[in-house]
Amino acid sequence: MKLNTSRETLLKPLQTVAGVVERRQTLPILSNVLIAVSGGHLNMTATDLEVELIARTPVEGATDGETTVSARKLMDICRALPEGAAVEISESKGKLAVKSGRSRFSLSTLPVGDFPLVPKIEGATQFSAAAAQFRNTLARTQFAMAQQDVRYYLNGLLFEITSNQLRTVATDGHRLSLCDCPIEGKIAKPVQAIVPRKGILELQRLLGDGDERVAVTLSDNHIRIELGEAVFTSKLIDGKFPDYERVIPQGNMKRLVGDRETLRQALHRTSILSNEKYRGIRLKLGNGTITAIANNPELEEAEETVEVDFTGEAMEIGFNVNYVLDVLAVLTSQEVEMMFIDSNSSCLIQPRGEKDSRHVVMPMRL
Amino acid sequence: MPQFPNRIHQLPDHLANQIAAGEVVERPSSVVKELLENALDAGARQIEVDIEQGGVKLIRVRDDGCGIIKDDMPLALSRHATSKITQVEDLERVSTLGFRGEALPSIGSVSRLTLSSRTESDERGWRVQIEGSVPSTLEPQPHARGTTVEVRDLFYNTPARRKFLRAEKTEFNHVEEVVKRIALSRFDTAVRLQHNQKPVYALHPAGDLKQMEKRVADVCGAAFVEHALRIDFEATGLKLSGWIAQPTFSRSQADLQYFYVNGRMVRDKLVSHAVRQAYRDVLFHDRHPAFVLYFELDPALVDVNAHPTKHEVRFRESRMVHDFLFRALHNVLARTRPGSTPNPVAVSDIVIPTAANAAPEQQSTFVYSSPPSGAPAQVRENMASYASMFSAAQPAAELPRTSESPPLGYALAQLHGIFILAENANGLVLVDMHAAHERVTYERMKQAHAGEGIVSQPLLVPVTVRVSEREAALADEQRDLLRAAGIEVDRIGPETMVIRQLPALLRDADAEKLLRDVLSDLVVHGTSSRVMDQLNELFATMACHGSVRANRRLTLPEMNALLRDMEATERADQCNHGRPTWIQLGLGELDKLFLRGQ
Ligand SMILES: Nc1ncnc2c1ncn2[C@@H]1O[C@H](COP(=O)(O)OP(=O)(O)OP(=O)(O)O)[C@@H](O)[C@H]1O
Ligand SMILES: [Mg+2]
Repeated sequence: MKLNTSRETLLKPLQTVAGVVERRQTLPILSNVLIAVSGGHLNMTATDLEVELIARTPVEGATDGETTVSARKLMDICRALPEGAAVEISESKGKLAVKSGRSRFSLSTLPVGDFPLVPKIEGATQFSAAAAQFRNTLARTQFAMAQQDVRYYLNGLLFEITSNQLRTVATDGHRLSLCDCPIEGKIAKPVQAIVPRKGILELQRLLGDGDERVAVTLSDNHIRIELGEAVFTSKLIDGKFPDYERVIPQGNMKRLVGDRETLRQALHRTSILSNEKYRGIRLKLGNGTITAIANNPELEEAEETVEVDFTGEAMEIGFNVNYVLDVLAVLTSQEVEMMFIDSNSSCLIQPRGEKDSRHVVMPMRL
Repeated sequence: MPQFPNRIHQLPDHLANQIAAGEVVERPSSVVKELLENALDAGARQIEVDIEQGGVKLIRVRDDGCGIIKDDMPLALSRHATSKITQVEDLERVSTLGFRGEALPSIGSVSRLTLSSRTESDERGWRVQIEGSVPSTLEPQPHARGTTVEVRDLFYNTPARRKFLRAEKTEFNHVEEVVKRIALSRFDTAVRLQHNQKPVYALHPAGDLKQMEKRVADVCGAAFVEHALRIDFEATGLKLSGWIAQPTFSRSQADLQYFYVNGRMVRDKLVSHAVRQAYRDVLFHDRHPAFVLYFELDPALVDVNAHPTKHEVRFRESRMVHDFLFRALHNVLARTRPGSTPNPVAVSDIVIPTAANAAPEQQSTFVYSSPPSGAPAQVRENMASYASMFSAAQPAAELPRTSESPPLGYALAQLHGIFILAENANGLVLVDMHAAHERVTYERMKQAHAGEGIVSQPLLVPVTVRVSEREAALADEQRDLLRAAGIEVDRIGPETMVIRQLPALLRDADAEKLLRDVLSDLVVHGTSSRVMDQLNELFATMACHGSVRANRRLTLPEMNALLRDMEATERADQCNHGRPTWIQLGLGELDKLFLRGQ
């Protein structure tokens, strides 16, 4: 393998894939990146056995071949070279030589055959979606995923695919968020899959703010997402996601409508004096107003009133303010609707005038 | 299986006694225990124990108690004969150590036993012997008021048992342990122990607290008493008194734990659990607390007939007893803070050799410990570390002193960003700054939380847990207790529960495991402190993160503030993990280090 190219041509795909390489590795091959040159393309692959990332870049005048070297060291070297520098990499006798200007590096390699690659994905469901909308649906739900819960199926994001939409759902057992995204593709029958938390976070980073379409392939065990020059593959969590429909409150509810940003700022200010540990805040709903009250063990107190549309019977309800703030922060609509039953029941929050995302938050007994 | 059933017949007395002996007499020390208990039951004020060859050859226990009436002497050696209870009601409120009437006949069936005794009104003493099972006829024997039991050749007729005996020294260690236990159970009785004619203990009757502490020191070592906290606590008819060691005086084994229930030494699960719990966040992990404790309660509230060797007891109000013990110990341990307890770690406990504990040669090894060959390099290194020590130490500023200096005195400087050096009336104080601050922060968090109560978080997705029917019934029954701990459960099937609500602070805990642990505590101890334990663990972690780290430079006012905080904080003698937070280097000890005044 031999390749004459620029620092940037190497660095960009390296930075794309390096995120999945775990810093502390017990399996040495996993700290390496697989570099493959063939058919005028350079492919860089990194994996942590759960998530695999491939970045592709066209290259010219290269000799085909493949090898694996330490991802971090190669990236550090490329970063440290001057901008725009020409770089030559070549492999021989188990070493990868990197040359640029008067710098010479010789990196040790590990056999390509040892590098674990995800096998070809079969029996698949396929669809595509606009990258912007796909990104949006992830953003509006991923924050509600559980972290290291013993109910392992909660440590990920549910993808539910029906004939013309992708719905993502996340819950950590205390709050739930769901969001819909239109898709194109032939869907024979509805499918559910849970993508692990780490994959979702990596995917979000990868999606950037591009405008193209993403192509999604789903098998029994894997999800593969192709976007531009990158291919993302993740294992799926084998488990049954809770029946989320049952958790979404329905029926006759008290409705509050308010300006989202005004509410968010008021709650944010009030939360400064809530208990640092469990972040409790009380909301008092009255005629045309909502008042947020917080106090902490040091007996400090914060209170703020916001004008809203609310005509129901007055009530008081407590929340972990972070759960409410998380929702208000990811929505983009001018106004939000909050629907209440009583102070012991969950509350539904949704953007006003948009039906594609819904958020449920459980109250706290303060 | 035999083809035809064997005929049933009554066992001969001798065999029956040997079978009973199997339970009561395991080794020489068990004989000593039974004989000492009999002496105490007889009201002895003075007991002499003579042992030969670890007790295998001879055990002789002589007391000055009430003695045995001549005609009863043969009866004392036969089974199911006792003077201590007469009817079944007596069994409900036993106040003597013995009550079964089994010890002497059992011992007699596996040894050569001689019983000599005289009562106050007898003109002379009498003697009866037993070898095999039949008591000999009574013969006169000069004897002062009291009783002597002599046991020779233990297990001479049961070779299988004899094989299990260990080395003489091991057997004697067991005997000694038994004597210690008895000696600690009655301070008003003098106890002498001799092994192979050599005196081992001579304990005088102890009347006041000082003499009692002297006896405890003789039995448990002087260091225990020096580091012991006195406890005297009484409530609702229960009384706990005795000594518990400061947590920093912990042991690698549970070998200094004496617990008496109405004068009877027991090893009880409920008791150990309550003790463990009281020591929970003050004891270094894998260490064992040391204590000598006396628990007194109405004999009707405790069943001593729960185990053949009477080592275990059953409390009728187990939850009340557990709570009482926990509270009593917890309160005393809360006092472990600078100024209100003995110094947590005395320098003499540590490695520094002093004139008292080191021979002159050893001292010189200490001083010249670096090998001469490496001298030049070594010196330079030492100089470098001195230099850094001095640059890290901050200059001492003259502080306004109040007339009475506080227990930890005033800070002089910070050492290597880790320790605070302070000066108090006794000399030098060294404080581990992180450990101390960690405890202060931790206690504050616990207090703030106690003021607020447990806030609970209902679950959006309830957690279903499979449990046994028994556990489910218990959870149903203890709904209020669970709710007070912030947990709400519902039973949705005979063996299925759902958790609907958890304490808000434990929202990320493993709910299923938490419930299971709480339920199993309830089954075993009648109460559970799991939720508090887990909350405290959480506070401990947060306290650790929220405390000053090594290398944080502190100013003198900051250091003094920490010293004052320590004095005002319960349990501040040790950090949450049980490590000491400060030590005192007294002027006397410093003098010794520099060989002054010798
Ligand atoms: N040292 C002693 N002084 C006075 N009486 C004694 C002494 N030792 C034994 N006795 C008498 O002999 C009886 C039998 O003693 P033994 O130890 O066999 O039974 P116990 O003490 O009644 O019950 P246990 O089997 O529970 O010890 C006692 O009840 C007591 O009356
Ligand atoms: Mg007895």
